[in-house]
Amino acid sequence: MLRVDGLSTGYGHVQVLWDLSLNVEEGEFVALIGANSAGKTTLLKTISGVMRPWSGTVTFQGKRIDTMHPNEIVDLGLSHIPESRKLFTDMSVKENLEMGAYPRRTWKDRANTMRWVFELFPRLEERKNQLARTLSGGEQQMLAMGRGLMSRPKMVLIDEPSNGLAPIVVAEVFQILKSLHAEGITILLVEQNVRQTLQVADRAYVIENGRLVLQGACSFLQANEHVKKAYLAL
Amino acid sequence: MVVLRDIVITGLLLGGILALVSVGFSLQYGVARVLNVSHGEFIMLGAFITFWLFTSVDLNPLVSLVVTAPLIFVIGWFLHATLFRRLMNTAPALGVFEGWSMLASFGLLYVVQNLARIIWGSQTHQVIFLNRAVTGAQIPLNRLVALGVCVVVGVVFYLFLTRTRLGKAIRASAQDPTVAGMMGVNINSVLAICFGLGLAMAGIAGSLISTVYAIQTSMGLQYTVIAMIVVILGGLGSITGAMIGGVVLGIVSQLVTHFQPTMTFIAYYVIIIILLLARPKGIMGK
Repeated sequence: MLRVDGLSTGYGHVQVLWDLSLNVEEGEFVALIGANSAGKTTLLKTISGVMRPWSGTVTFQGKRIDTMHPNEIVDLGLSHIPESRKLFTDMSVKENLEMGAYPRRTWKDRANTMRWVFELFPRLEERKNQLARTLSGGEQQMLAMGRGLMSRPKMVLIDEPSNGLAPIVVAEVFQILKSLHAEGITILLVEQNVRQTLQVADRAYVIENGRLVLQGACSFLQANEHVKKAYLAL
Repeated sequence: MVVLRDIVITGLLLGGILALVSVGFSLQYGVARVLNVSHGEFIMLGAFITFWLFTSVDLNPLVSLVVTAPLIFVIGWFLHATLFRRLMNTAPALGVFEGWSMLASFGLLYVVQNLARIIWGSQTHQVIFLNRAVTGAQIPLNRLVALGVCVVVGVVFYLFLTRTRLGKAIRASAQDPTVAGMMGVNINSVLAICFGLGLAMAGIAGSLISTVYAIQTSMGLQYTVIAMIVVILGGLGSITGAMIGGVVLGIVSQLVTHFQPTMTFIAYYVIIIILLLARPKGIMGK
């Protein structure tokens, strides 16, 4: 479904990603793990069109998307739920969700989609008229995820949803990711919470200093010595 | 009492026009990040197109709004889609773009102003329209009509921003253009529309000004300066702040003018100094 081939990119003259290739099949739940500043966020940004690759290609459902603008990519059904929520803080919860349904394809049906999102996140419905910035950290993450789902994506890129949340809320977030996967949505998850990530995902890639160093099924990675030492503190 | 009432009403009218001018200015800076020094020139253009239609084909100044607003919107849209978008795409950083776009708008100021001077000369004109006092009051009818138009435009614009798909996209883009793009908003198109809308408001204000005050092709810059004061007063980038700031400045200006006309601009700056000491980010600033 998503194929990244020989991707290199960076900021200004600083190269961040080096000849990176990965692929995600339809219906898969794939994780991308690695330390801070390993290039995980940069990779998601390049896939969703926020950043341009220096070289290499990105293909989504057989279509080259590496020269497209972010608004065209989300319209194809690939939604990016950004790091640290990035909500429209001066807009209400409802308006944030509406913005998620901005593509013409989904705008008309936004009321129905919102009902679906409210079923996934009942707390958002209780708070739908509040300004986004008045929500708690966990609620803000729910809203960011709900907003990303309003465009009825076939695949979502999720960047560090557990960041800065209390353990009980983190568990809730992972539960929701599981249920999204069960609904047939393909997921590429970036996480620093390696232990829980490897429990929910099918496969994972390990990225270090902008290069892929390891990949495989989560059960394989859980047993891998390097992963154990560097990421699971075993 | 009657004097005070008249001061408040004329102050409200000036405030309404200033609010319109400043909301347009704020829209260009807050969303498109262009500090448009040529903003006032499009007020002048709106005023002179109205004047020209009034004197050549005897068109009612209110009807001419239907011509000036869309025409100046298209000019603004085109300027952004060509000039400013190109600068935005080549600038290495947002700060650099803000510098470049301000310089470009300085250039626009001279081009527009001097073209207008070639066409209309540099003498003073006025559109004589509804210039009769309302029974029982000293306020000419044209001022009340102009105030009414300001209020209507303000309300329509507010509803547009809060109720429509495009309006919400504009508010989202003002907060975070990158994320708005990720939601499916075509940022280039929204920025051009914002720039056009900002100029269209200047044009509408210009049409109204031509029915109330004397107009000259050199009138633009003073309005740009006032718009900058209002926008700083209201909080950079805040539309509501620009509205409140415009009305406050209008009323204060009329109060001061009534007692000591030469003090008006001094009063503006005194207000801004006091406000910036008390609330450095403006009335609605965050």
